[in-house]
Amino acid sequence: MAELTLFGYRSGHSVLHRIDVRCKILGLLFISTVSLNAGVFSLAILSGLLVMVAIDCRLKLKSFLREIRYFFILMLVILIAHALSTKGTMVWKIYFLSISIYGLYEGALICWRLFLVVLAGLLFVSTTRPSEIKASVEWFLKPVPFVSGKRLATMFSLVMRFIPVILNQAKETAEAQKARCVEIRKNPIYRIKKMGFPLLRRMFENADRLVFAMEARCYNENRTDPDLSFRPTDWLAILLVTGLCVLLLIV
Amino acid sequence: MNIIEIENLGHRFSDGSYGIKNVNLEISEGSFVVITGPNGSGKTTLLRHLNGLLQPTTGSVKLAGVPVEDDLVRARQFVGMMFQDADSQIVGETVYEDVAFGPENLNLERIEIKRRVADALDTAGLTEFSEYRPHLLSGGEKRRLAIAGILAMNPQVIVFDEPFASLDYPGVRQVLRHILALHQTGHTIIIVTHDLEKVIAHADRLIIMHKGQVVKDDSPLKVLPEVEKFGVRQPCDARQGMEPRSWLN
Repeated sequence: MAELTLFGYRSGHSVLHRIDVRCKILGLLFISTVSLNAGVFSLAILSGLLVMVAIDCRLKLKSFLREIRYFFILMLVILIAHALSTKGTMVWKIYFLSISIYGLYEGALICWRLFLVVLAGLLFVSTTRPSEIKASVEWFLKPVPFVSGKRLATMFSLVMRFIPVILNQAKETAEAQKARCVEIRKNPIYRIKKMGFPLLRRMFENADRLVFAMEARCYNENRTDPDLSFRPTDWLAILLVTGLCVLLLIV
Repeated sequence: MNIIEIENLGHRFSDGSYGIKNVNLEISEGSFVVITGPNGSGKTTLLRHLNGLLQPTTGSVKLAGVPVEDDLVRARQFVGMMFQDADSQIVGETVYEDVAFGPENLNLERIEIKRRVADALDTAGLTEFSEYRPHLLSGGEKRRLAIAGILAMNPQVIVFDEPFASLDYPGVRQVLRHILALHQTGHTIIIVTHDLEKVIAHADRLIIMHKGQVVKDDSPLKVLPEVEKFGVRQPCDARQGMEPRSWLN
């Protein structure tokens, strides 16, 4: 369960790997916003851009498709729902169900937009270290009053760190229960209870130990600031992405 | 010179039970001390007073003459602590970040942090793992990562709570080798374990705790014949009337 998946950082030397994390977050924000309002022409341009970036990042098509296989089911549901619920020229009708061409077109467009947002997010996650994301959260929240960017960044970092540990513990607990024939019990509430309570208890015990370990290493909020640097290439990248997004919004 | 002075230390838990009672100890600089005792004898509770993680109900702990409670940050830099469960001690998403966690808390300059992390990783033999995710390391490597995290704080005393628990033979040897190297570089070493076999050959002092109190405190050769009275197994060599041998030989 805790093995590395595509939705995690992978080291590399692509352009996206070298760009500053804050620049990538702004780019992701702009591209996602434009995608959600774009027509066919704009989506085609954005798709071309993201595919080029994905090739540069050496994103493996097969593993990408495998990782987002459940997302395809969601897209299919959206497509069917739109096709059935949008009025227009009918292509097929059975009893009270009718599928319109416009509905299919609208559904496909929405799926395309969502797919681009997911692809952009995946490219961001796979080319950005969690520590950089943490540092950028800290940086973006610095000017916000009454919000401790450092505390939130530490919380974010701990969540990222402990997800694999929790998954491993869940796997161990499940295996230990299987070894004692829990599968014979068909009542889902009983099984959730027997799985959830021990897992939660272990998580809280771990959290207690973590507090001691952090205190032993002098944890406080007055910590060294993260190491981020915005180079001329980052300015160029953000200008290009902003320019493209503005252009696509106008078109 | 005594680097740690513990006077009349007592700790009472919130349920009213005593974790430790009337503990008096003096630990000299550069020594190698093993503290043993059965489960629930107060070993871990005692350790957690050395850097102020627990506050005493009675008595005090002084580090190089300064009471722990006077300066907790100093105490935590002075006494590095490796916990029994390395997994819940590691907080970084990568090996490098975990080692940098302590120096960042001390608000050091980034350049100094990089230097300390590089030195600590080198000492722990983890330089090539610096970009690894900690949960993918082996048990022995996780213990070494915990050691590196402590070293980056430049402590004078290093405390290990059951450092060999659930390690395989090569893992035990790896960790033991690092502990000895740290001792040779002048660190004071305190190890808490009920598994004397693996480390006692290197210790110059053995302390037995029982029901929250120090019941024996002398050189290992003098204390070893009595450990089984207090629920701790004697090392094989000692049972056969021999001097304990190192696991590194």
